[in-house]
Amino acid sequence: MDFLIQLFSDPVTFWNSHTLLISQIAINGILATSMFLVLYSGQLSLAAPGFMAIGAYTAVLMDLYLRTPLALNIAAGTALAGVVGAVVGLPVLRLRGVFLAIATIGFIEALSLGVILNLPITGEGLGLKNSNADPLGGINLVLISLVVVVFLAWRLIKGRLGYAWTAIRQDELAALSQGIDVARYKLIAFVLSAILAGYAGAAESHLNFFVDPNEYGVTRTVQVLTFAVLGGSGTVLGPVVGALFLTSLPYIFKQAGDYIGVVSGLILILVIIFRPQGILGRGGFAFVRPRWWPRAQVRAPST
Amino acid sequence: MLLRLEKVQRHFGGVRAVDEVSLEVEKGSIQGLIGPNGAGKTTLVNAITGYVPLQSGDAWLESQRLTGLAAYRIAGLGIARTFQNIRLFRDLSAAENVIVGMHSRRRDDTLAQLGTLPLFRRDQRARLNEAHRLMETVGLDPAEIGRRPAGTLPYGDQRRLEIARALALQPRLLILDEPAAGMNPSEKQGMRELIEHLNKDGLTILLIDHDMQLVMGVCQRVAVLDFGRKIADGTPEEVSRDAAVIKAYLGTGSERQVSSAPGATGVEDVTQVAQASAKAKPSQEPSAALLDVHDLSVSYGSVNAVRSASLRVAVGEVVALIGANGAGKTTILSALSGLIRPTSGTAYFDGLDLTSAKPSAIVRHGLIHVPEGREILGRQTVLENLELATWARRDRSAAASEIEAVMKRFPILGERRHLRAGTLSGGEAQMLAIARGLCAKPRLLLLDEPSLGLAPQMVDVVFAAIDEIHREGTTILLVEQNALRALEIADRAYVLETGQILLTGSGDDLLHNPAVRRAYLGG
Repeated sequence: MDFLIQLFSDPVTFWNSHTLLISQIAINGILATSMFLVLYSGQLSLAAPGFMAIGAYTAVLMDLYLRTPLALNIAAGTALAGVVGAVVGLPVLRLRGVFLAIATIGFIEALSLGVILNLPITGEGLGLKNSNADPLGGINLVLISLVVVVFLAWRLIKGRLGYAWTAIRQDELAALSQGIDVARYKLIAFVLSAILAGYAGAAESHLNFFVDPNEYGVTRTVQVLTFAVLGGSGTVLGPVVGALFLTSLPYIFKQAGDYIGVVSGLILILVIIFRPQGILGRGGFAFVRPRWWPRAQVRAPST
Repeated sequence: MLLRLEKVQRHFGGVRAVDEVSLEVEKGSIQGLIGPNGAGKTTLVNAITGYVPLQSGDAWLESQRLTGLAAYRIAGLGIARTFQNIRLFRDLSAAENVIVGMHSRRRDDTLAQLGTLPLFRRDQRARLNEAHRLMETVGLDPAEIGRRPAGTLPYGDQRRLEIARALALQPRLLILDEPAAGMNPSEKQGMRELIEHLNKDGLTILLIDHDMQLVMGVCQRVAVLDFGRKIADGTPEEVSRDAAVIKAYLGTGSERQVSSAPGATGVEDVTQVAQASAKAKPSQEPSAALLDVHDLSVSYGSVNAVRSASLRVAVGEVVALIGANGAGKTTILSALSGLIRPTSGTAYFDGLDLTSAKPSAIVRHGLIHVPEGREILGRQTVLENLELATWARRDRSAAASEIEAVMKRFPILGERRHLRAGTLSGGEAQMLAIARGLCAKPRLLLLDEPSLGLAPQMVDVVFAAIDEIHREGTTILLVEQNALRALEIADRAYVLETGQILLTGSGDDLLHNPAVRRAYLGG
């Protein structure tokens, strides 16, 4: 509770004492938007941490070995994630639903075992030290990025591209019959999502002094998916709100201590029962009633 | 010629869904495509529109070869379609659905979007106006329903909206796949007027429907498919007199003389129908019924599939439930076996309230449903399929002898007991489905479309088997499209039309009743 009281009574001190949390929220917000784009086009892709890893390692390695400026490092990490996204997306996007999810998890695992844990240049699983990191200076960068990313995503879904994505999400066959090149628009969403995840990874690596290979596994994927489910994937802001909520949860319930996982699990279950459309989804709370509860009698209209 | 098909062929496994069909659609005409259930009509449409690739043959849209093109390319070339089972974007508003249809001729504004807002707003308003205009064309009021999610619209409006969405492509050819399915007569009339109106504006239409009166009424030419082959092509008059068409449509095996195809000279005189039904009404509805259904209504959302249907079945009877596609036959059976719940009315089976009992309790009470499309387990062997049916029995040895008895009854199943059920032919699979029903020791057997998709000889075999089961003492409620065959073996029958029971009588009475043909073939 102290957390919330401080937020409202003394925002300046709050800001200064929670920079780590705020930048983490911003990073997670960008990741949530990356997840939003794939979900909005009807694809259950769980590849985000893989692209994050590509962004992060590329940026840090360039900094370590080439001494290139920060902007170039981040740009290169982001671009490489996009390229890998296109290469992976071409074959993988023939799959749908759970099968796509499994294939993208396969991508994360392959990347982790094949590249991150086994190449000498990536530290062979020991991670990389990033002595040029700037946790305090990076906060402005990631906050502005979050705003820009959310705005761009919001604009994108309002246009022709957004209509095509919605059509594909709702009914692929019907979308085909309207002349929509389903495979192409799915790939566009996938690559954009990879670019955002790559950017989030590169930016995150600039905030931490250490790139930890364990950060980019299935756990992270599930966390990002939870942002979208919790916040609601129907609007751009939904996943971002989910990220905001879940990231600050450990601070709000400080008393829970080691049991924070239990608390967030319970909250997640309650949201799914009472607001299956997510916090920002349309409509009110679901009315859940036991089986024996009397129900309104439905009468057939007289014709 | 706008559309030209040359010996188009598409097989699924061993099933020849479309078998060397050639077809030409004249520019500016309405071409009809009819055929019994499973004749390959929808597969042909899917082949033209690129949803399933052709195995051989060629399709041309004027001088453009369609063969091998992706579905979205073909749509972009100007072939728009609607779907048999409506496929709207349910969560989008009605107007947005139409705007999606403009995709292929809309400038790519993705980058413009990120910056300049006013330009985008103007375009968006123009698109919205066009969507509203298209909705008006098909008879929808954009002010009233433009903002409503498409999934919440009444059924008839959804069909119209789907046509508006197709028109948004500015198509050269519009393919309507059963646009009048599930509609009541006045809605059908409205659909007919809409089709004629669109055609008058110069649109070429390929119309697929079961309703002969609609097809025969609006089309300049009609092609008839049966078992994937084109068996006739010509003007409605020519086609309706074609012996092969009559046989394909009214059912096989019956030697009865039918002078013309249904619908062409159909009985439209309402008074005649009323008289006929008045005469047929008092026929022997049993007083002591095993199954007693009263005022049963079922709806799917906004569609009233069954309206106040009442029927009775006494012990030892074969009762047929006949009617055209979408009349509500299968819905009644599903309601009786507890798979869907009626909105009102009562249904009792030997004292058990079917409207509230669990499906498993209904089965234990002896009401067994053999579903449409058989639903056998293709990867299990014939024997395993039958063993599953006796799964709930305590007495294993009795169950085993039951299975042996059923195999004796259907020797072909005995021969194939160790084959996978998926390798059986359609007729054999139907036998297996019935045999599985028998293993559950039914007191009332519900058979849904046992002749669906079967070759004529197979239909004979299946019906002979049904007749024999009946004579051994099983009570049967039979749902059939093949009206003549069903009436031949039925003690009594009920005729359904758009969810209502139109008339009832003994099988023989109804066979000679002109009203049957009217109900069955649309009115």
